Parts: sequence; C-alpha cells; structure tokens
Amino acid sequence: MVATPARTPAELALVARYPAERTSLPGTADVIAIRDAAFGGVEKSGLPHRRVEDWKYTDLRARLKTFPPAAGPADVARILIAAPAVEDDKARRLVIANGRYRPELSDLKDLEPGLSVFSLATALEAGDTLVLAALKLDDAVAANTAVALNTAFMTDGLVIAVADGAEIQRPVELVHIAEGEPAASTAVRHLVTVGKGARMTLIETIESLDTVAHHSNVMTVLEVGDGAKVDHIRLQLEPDEAVCMTSLVAKIGREASFDTFNAALGAGLARAQIFAEFTGRDARAGFRGVTMLNGRRHADTTLFLVHGAENCQSRELYKAVIDDEARSAFAGRIAVPAHAQKTDARMMTASLLLSEEAEADAKPELEIFADDVQCGHGATCGAIDDDLLFYLLSRGIPKAEAESMLILAFLGEAIDEIQNQAVHDALIHRVEGWLKARAA
Amino acid sequence: MLEIKNLHARIGDREILKGLSLTVKPGEVHAIMGPNGAGKSTLSYILAGKDDYEITEGEVLLNGQSILDLTPNERSVAGLFLAFQYPIEIPGVATMTFLKAALNSHRKAKGQDELTTPEFMKLVKGVAERLNITSDMLKRPVNVGFSGGEKKRAEIMQMALLQPSICILDETDSGLDIDALKVVSEGVNALRSPDRAFVVITHYQRLLDHIVPDIVHVLSDGRIVRTGGPELALDLEKNGYAAYVADAAA
Ligand SMILES: Nc1ncnc2c1ncn2[C@@H]1O[C@H](COP(=O)(O)OP(=O)(O)OP(=O)(O)O)[C@@H](O)[C@H]1O
Ligand SMILES: [Mg+2]
Repeated sequence: MVATPARTPAELALVARYPAERTSLPGTADVIAIRDAAFGGVEKSGLPHRRVEDWKYTDLRARLKTFPPAAGPADVARILIAAPAVEDDKARRLVIANGRYRPELSDLKDLEPGLSVFSLATALEAGDTLVLAALKLDDAVAANTAVALNTAFMTDGLVIAVADGAEIQRPVELVHIAEGEPAASTAVRHLVTVGKGARMTLIETIESLDTVAHHSNVMTVLEVGDGAKVDHIRLQLEPDEAVCMTSLVAKIGREASFDTFNAALGAGLARAQIFAEFTGRDARAGFRGVTMLNGRRHADTTLFLVHGAENCQSRELYKAVIDDEARSAFAGRIAVPAHAQKTDARMMTASLLLSEEAEADAKPELEIFADDVQCGHGATCGAIDDDLLFYLLSRGIPKAEAESMLILAFLGEAIDEIQNQAVHDALIHRVEGWLKARAA
Repeated sequence: MLEIKNLHARIGDREILKGLSLTVKPGEVHAIMGPNGAGKSTLSYILAGKDDYEITEGEVLLNGQSILDLTPNERSVAGLFLAFQYPIEIPGVATMTFLKAALNSHRKAKGQDELTTPEFMKLVKGVAERLNITSDMLKRPVNVGFSGGEKKRAEIMQMALLQPSICILDETDSGLDIDALKVVSEGVNALRSPDRAFVVITHYQRLLDHIVPDIVHVLSDGRIVRTGGPELALDLEKNGYAAYVADAAA
C-alpha cells in the first residue's frame, strides 16, 4: 500500500470547501458533473509537488499555504473610484469584481456589430449547450491542477464571441479586481471565440484593491478562427501577498495571427500557463512576456505549444528580472508532430539576476517529430553587464539610475513588441515605478 | 589639475602599472605614446574608476583631491572624461535618453536645474552637427550599429556636451578616416581652454598634427620612461620604441 502523504492546510481547505459549495456554484446538473470530475482529480492526487514534472520549479504543495474561502460580493463604490490599471479611453472595460461579472460597472454601450458579450454564470445556469461544449478541454489541460481548480470553483466570467469577419475596433479589456478583507479566493473562466477573418485586441488586467493574500485563478479559453488576428495582453498586478494563477488555452486556426503577452509584475506566488495549439496551417503566433520579481516572490511561466499544423511560425520570448531572494521559473515545451513540416519556431528566455540570492530556472524543450523544420531555443541567465554599467557610470549617471536604464533595456526587447500603445505605456509606467522603488 | 603619483596597479597577480607619475596642468595637452600592451588603456580605465584593478601604491589627485575612492560617476561629475578606445554598444538604451541622463546628472551635481526637453534637444543638435553626427545616429541606441569612426565621433560629442575639465582620449584617432580625423580634431580643439586639459593617447603623429601637444610622454611597461616636447613624437614616428623598451627593461 502506498502511504498517502498527510493533507496540507491548503489541501484540507480545498477538500472542505468543495462539497460545501458545489451545488451553490452556478450551473445545471451537467455543470456540476464537470466540476465534480475536475475536483475529483485534484482530491485524488493532492496538490502537485516538485516531483510532478510540470510543477518541478513551483512546488504548489509546499508553496500554497492556504486556500482562502470564496470571495463575497465586492463593494462597488470602491471599485468605481479605483484608478484604472490601463489609461485607455478606447478600451471597452468589462469588470469582473470578486469573481463576478458586473455589467453595471462595465462599458456595454454601442457594442460593435459582430461582438457579443454575456455572463458565463448565466450561461451555466441556463445550461447553454454551446457553453457547456466549450468547457470541454483536452485531457492534459483539464487535468492540470490550476485548470481543474478553475473548473471546480469558477463563479463567472465572460463569454465573448466575435462574428466572422468582424473587426472590433475598441480593445476589449477584462478588468479583474479583488476587493475586501480578509483574503478570499476567486476563480473566473472566460470563453472567447473569434470568428474567421475577425480581429480583436483582448486585454486582461488582474489586480486587488487590498494588500491581502487573495488567491485568484483566471482562465481564458480562446479560439482564434481561420485568418483571424488576435492580440492578447495580460497585466498581472496583484499585491505581493497574493497568489495568482492564470491559464490561457488558445487554438489558432489556419492563416491566423495571434500574439499573447504576459506581464507578471505582482503576486507573491504567480503561475502563468499557456496551452496553445496551431490547429490550421500557415498561421503565426508570438508568445512573449516579462516577469519582475523582488523580495521572496516566486513566478512561474509555463508554456506548452503544439505546432500541430504545417508551415506555422512561432516566436517565444520571455524575460525575467529577479532581485533579492526571488525566484523565477520558465518552462517552455514546443511539440512538433510528424505532419507539421515547415514548422518555424524560435524560443528564447533570458533572466537578469540583480542579487546574489536571486534564482532563475529555465527549461526550454523541443519535441520534434517532423524532419523539415526550423526550431531553436536558447536560455541565458546573468547579472548586469559590468562593462555596460561602467560606460554609463563613466558619464556621470549614478549607479542606481544606470542599472535601471539597463534593466529597462533588457525588458524592452520584449515590451516593445506590444502593439497596443496604451498597454505598452501602462506597462512601461509600472516597470519604471518598480525600478524607482528599487533604486530608492 | 591632474596629478598621478607613483601609481602601481595590478590585475590578478599581474602588475601592469609600475610606478607611473604624471602631472597635467590646466590648459595643457599631453600626448601619451607607447607600445601595445604598455598600460595606456589600463591607466585611462583606472583614472575613470573601473574597478577591475587593484591599486597597490600611489595616488591620483584631481584639482588637489584624491579621486581613487570616488565612484566612476563621481569622477565624471568632478570633471573627468574618458573617450574610450573601444566604445561599447548598449542595445535598448536610446542615445538621447542616455545623453539626457548624463547631462542631468552633471547639472544636478552642480546644483543646476534639469534642462527642459527643447533646451536639451537644441544643445545636442548643435554639438552633433559640428561633429557630423546625423540625427539618424542620435535616434539609435547608444553606439549600436555605429561604425568604428562614428563611435569615436560620438565619444567626442559626449565630451563636448559634458564639458569636462580633464579629458582623456584613448586612441580616439584609430578607426577615423582622414576627414573624420579633422572633424574630431576640430571638435577637440574647440574645447581647448585655459582651464581644461587633455591627455591624448595615440600611436600616430598624424593626430598630433591636428591636436598639437605641449608635452609628449612615452609609456612603456607601466611607467613613463621619457618626457619631451612635440618633437619627441616625431622622433618616435621615425625610430620606433626600441630604445625606450630597452630602457624600461634595463
Ligand atoms: N583584464 C586583464 N587581465 C589580464 N591582463 C590584462 C587585463 N587587461 C589588460 N591586461 C594586460 O595589461 C597590459 C596593458 O594593457 P593595455 O590595454 O593597458 O595596453 P595599451 O597600452 O593600451 O595597449 P594598446 O596600444 O594595444 O591599446 C597588456 O599586456 C594586457 O594584456
Ligand atoms: Mg589601449
């Protein structure tokens, strides 16, 4: 008999919470069945630890100290006066507060033709068959702990559809705000379908109004139709106390163009997962991100990409800046099945260590079964270049400022790929704030 | 202005400067010549404050004050400038951002207000124009993609902007074509003034035709082994270093 390790406090909280909440969470009996299956998996295996390959660098069992109760309703007045994370008059802000979509806080006026937006909770309650079908995930994705917890506990989210050929001019911004004390958990699922030849920019911001140990789990399932063009950018701005897990599931159709950018600026424990797949030939995609860490924070970026069709091109670029005793992990796996000839994939990850105790782990992997491909990967890790620093110092620039310039330059290679100016500027503003605080 | 007294410096267990002394007075132009590997660049790096070297003996005074304990940026705002032999490329740092940060650091140290952007632009454009630095070069990251000669001109542009009191030029002439040599020399000569001094490290008389030195030194094996007037450079050009290298070894 195999000894089951004792449940951790977080596991105990999970096991206590789910049976108490399962029937009050939104959804018909079919939805409850899906939730049960997802939770059953987690209950059986427990939280993943470092001997579970996909969680090698992020031992969730050891790192997740608690699993706080579900968030109650948010105080709307506080959310109304909070400054937006991205200053953009153009963006259509859709607010998800404490895990619930709040239409009354959202900008729904003059929805562009071809754009539809509704609440996931409502669809789950109604047993909407299309939405139920969209909850179905590939087995490996469904079994992932962060995903399974999202499935089990999801309270709401947005179901967004963009009709074939529609060009959505205004970026759609999903604003996730946690509000209130004590710490609470949220699980939000978005289902976004972008039709053939359609275009949209999808922004996600994740933040908390209170510096408490909130636990947010945000998952976005995105269907990029044939010939569609989608730009997805996420700013994770949680407080240091928080735990934030995000999952992006993207299916990229034939001749589509897709970019996703993840800025992991906050949370004491952050995990950003991407499960992407090229489902049609001649498509391209860019996967990029920056992570900034200090204190004892930990951030993990895990990318699984299946180059599942011929002649697709992908670029992966992830940069991390790590100070103090913080730790960053990057795992990138690109699989190229035998039929995916003419695949072109370049994965690069670079870490800049700002202190002796800072740590970066990188595990880029290629699994190539096709023979006519161009694939490459690289990983670098190092401190600020002394010669570059000396040059700046020799011109009178003080050390802290010179280092900030070099850190910004290091991140800039990735950040400058962001096409949306407002998000780009918002991110640069945050990065500069981080650097100023560090220099002070 | 600059006094170097019996400077000994090593890297690892290799001694590179072996008791180097040099005094530069305001308004003077000194040329330092010497064979490859003599320690010329090492001297310039040590003056600018690179911390790869261990100073085992001696001192360096700038305007009567010891600078060996100052950080490189403190030395810069104290008026010391090094035009590098090999200016480094800094991808991702815009030239204008860099120049502005440098200039404002100097102004701050002097208790002056930061320049406004239009004031700054005007200042840079003026200096750049005189050194044939195009606005395209100014739009690029620091030194990135600059040709060898362009990098050297950019160094002199920085020098002209920062208005140092002691300028050390490490082989600024190498890599320059004949026209650029003239432009750079004119740039340097325009900065000559009674309260500014230059230490010009070079291998070639042709630079000294344009920037006429008051004093010429021969640096060999970590020491100044000979000091003379401009005619010394001409003599070196004709006869090489053989005599001095032998002297140093003796
Ligand atoms: N980091 C280092 N480690 C070991 N030796 C070094 C280092 N830097 C310089 N040296 C040595 O110190 C000596 C002096 O070098 P330096 O660059 O100062 O010479 P230089 O006079 O400027 O020569 P050149 O005319 O070729 O520019 C050389 O022998 C060089 O190899
Ligand atoms: Mg040299």
